[in-house]
Amino acid sequence: MPYLVNKLNFSSPRWSVLSRVLAATLGGYILATASSFFISQLLMTSVGKYQAIHIGLMLTFIVYACVAMWVFSVKTATKAWLGLLKLSISFVVATWLLMQFNGVAS
Amino acid sequence: MKDNFRQSMKWFHTWVGLVVGWILFFMFLTGSLGYFYQEITRWMEPERPFVVQQISTEELLDTAQIYLEKHAEGADGWDIMLPNIRDQNLRVGWRHPAEPGKKRGKYKIKVLDVNTGDKVERRATGGGRLLYRMHYRLHYLSTNISYWIVGFCSMLMLLAVITGVVIHKKIFTDFFTFRAKKGLPGWLDIHNVLSVIALPFHFMITYSGLLFFLFTYMVLSTNLQTNEDEYREMRKEIYPRTVHLDKTNQAAKMLDISFLYQQAKTTWQASELSYVEMFAANDVNAHALFVRHETDITYNPDDEITVNAVTGEIILSKHKQYTVAAMIHNGFFSLHEGQFSGPVARWVYFFTGLIGSAMIASGLILWTTKRKPKQMKKTNGPDFGYRLVEQLNIGTIVGLPIAIAMYFYANRLLPLDMANRINWEANVMFISWAILLIYPMFRPAAKAWYEQLQLATLVYIGLPLVNALTTDKHLFNSLNKQDWNLAGFDLTLLLVGGCFAFAAYKFKTLQISKRANNDREIEKQTNRPVQVANESLLPLQQVNKEKC
Repeated sequence: MPYLVNKLNFSSPRWSVLSRVLAATLGGYILATASSFFISQLLMTSVGKYQAIHIGLMLTFIVYACVAMWVFSVKTATKAWLGLLKLSISFVVATWLLMQFNGVAS
Repeated sequence: MKDNFRQSMKWFHTWVGLVVGWILFFMFLTGSLGYFYQEITRWMEPERPFVVQQISTEELLDTAQIYLEKHAEGADGWDIMLPNIRDQNLRVGWRHPAEPGKKRGKYKIKVLDVNTGDKVERRATGGGRLLYRMHYRLHYLSTNISYWIVGFCSMLMLLAVITGVVIHKKIFTDFFTFRAKKGLPGWLDIHNVLSVIALPFHFMITYSGLLFFLFTYMVLSTNLQTNEDEYREMRKEIYPRTVHLDKTNQAAKMLDISFLYQQAKTTWQASELSYVEMFAANDVNAHALFVRHETDITYNPDDEITVNAVTGEIILSKHKQYTVAAMIHNGFFSLHEGQFSGPVARWVYFFTGLIGSAMIASGLILWTTKRKPKQMKKTNGPDFGYRLVEQLNIGTIVGLPIAIAMYFYANRLLPLDMANRINWEANVMFISWAILLIYPMFRPAAKAWYEQLQLATLVYIGLPLVNALTTDKHLFNSLNKQDWNLAGFDLTLLLVGGCFAFAAYKFKTLQISKRANNDREIEKQTNRPVQVANESLLPLQQVNKEKC
């Protein structure tokens, strides 16, 4: 086991890059999806359900891009993962609150 | 990642650009050709006649109707595509009724000779359509896998564009100043200029490209927010369609389409009739939709008019309703495809597409030139990664244009009665590309660049000649008949060949001047005249041995 740990060399920056790549692609996708829920709930009462969902979807690529850039700009990969988690949860909670407020089940 | 935001983004820009740069180059180049896909198809079907005489739209419609009555029996609908500036032949199409178990029937399209009223026997070819479809269908892979690969690459492109703006300090000054710097511009300068000059286009084309498959990519979000019915409703709202009456299977005599056209013209301005769609032909529900050449980015209800084909009355159809979001969405599609553009705008689109391709190419080259000095000093020769990037660069940046030319050669040279001819045209293209990707492995980089540039010159200059030897649609005839689409294609090939010749010449002279500089340096250091050739022109293995 120690041999394997040495061999894999977990302190190497390569692991940090791999972790960030995963955070940006998978984490970014989930966060972008979560953001689309939030945006659609935010707009639902003013522009109607379908248009609200549509706008949320169209903005996902921009959110995704910003997330990916942010993941590669923070100091450590762990910080990036934690940030993604926090933001995703915030979006989901905010969406849930808005849903209560809007009174429409989506 | 790095010490500050800009440094991190610089690192990020380098790697997102590199990872799929070659696929992006392929997408940009074949996509740019898409702006001329009709013109390319016309060139690839040389059996079509030259069209010079002016025939009235009414006469053309009569010719088309006579042909369709005879040959499109049982078809649900007809299409009549009128000659226009992009395709000067009269074309008709119809869809056969769906076979059991299939959603839609087969679609047939014929080019008509307006003099005889009969179809033109054309060779089997993928034409410009197959070529431009490659930029999102990637040809060999299944639809779904292609869309996801294309989406992934587009997302990285979007990131490259945004990070490129972030790391570029003087974006506005660069945009508005022309730097006539003395000496040669470096690859970084070239990359910057190509990026900044068409920045809005690069962003628009990438973002709109992603929007095309919005519902494929964001499937998780739509699935969680809508059920099946709601999803269908939502899509209807985003891509509204006019509902047309179906067949009743009660036969009825239709009026002449040319007469219907005259009826339509009484209330409608048909500046340039683009096509006619006949629904439920020879049925009591028969009605014709006249559509003129679109000139707007957003939907214009005045672009079309429907006429009852039995009574000749104008049908007031409900206009398609767009929400604001749908208008933006479809507006991006319009901008991406450029269907609304006239000839000049079409050329601008084409050139901006090429600027995009060149931007990607220069970025890829920049990656190697930056690392070259360090890599060349390594005792074991350059790293595998460096060599790989260099080879992929040579094989793609010069190799892909050659492969595209081979697609055109295949169109002219493959036997006309060959089985699967359409597939083989594309196979020839991809086999050529594969060979040109492998070739640089066995040559020193500088030689591979030079030789492939020479080859590109040869194939592009040779293509109009082969065209002249195999068909009567050559430059001499097309210029004589003033068929500018055909002539334009051949002239463009010659121009591209000329550009490659210039690039090859420039490459050679730069190599020589670099070698002279190197020799001078060595002479200065050793105080001895040097006769050895430049290292970069020797095979790498040899260089390595000498260094060892």
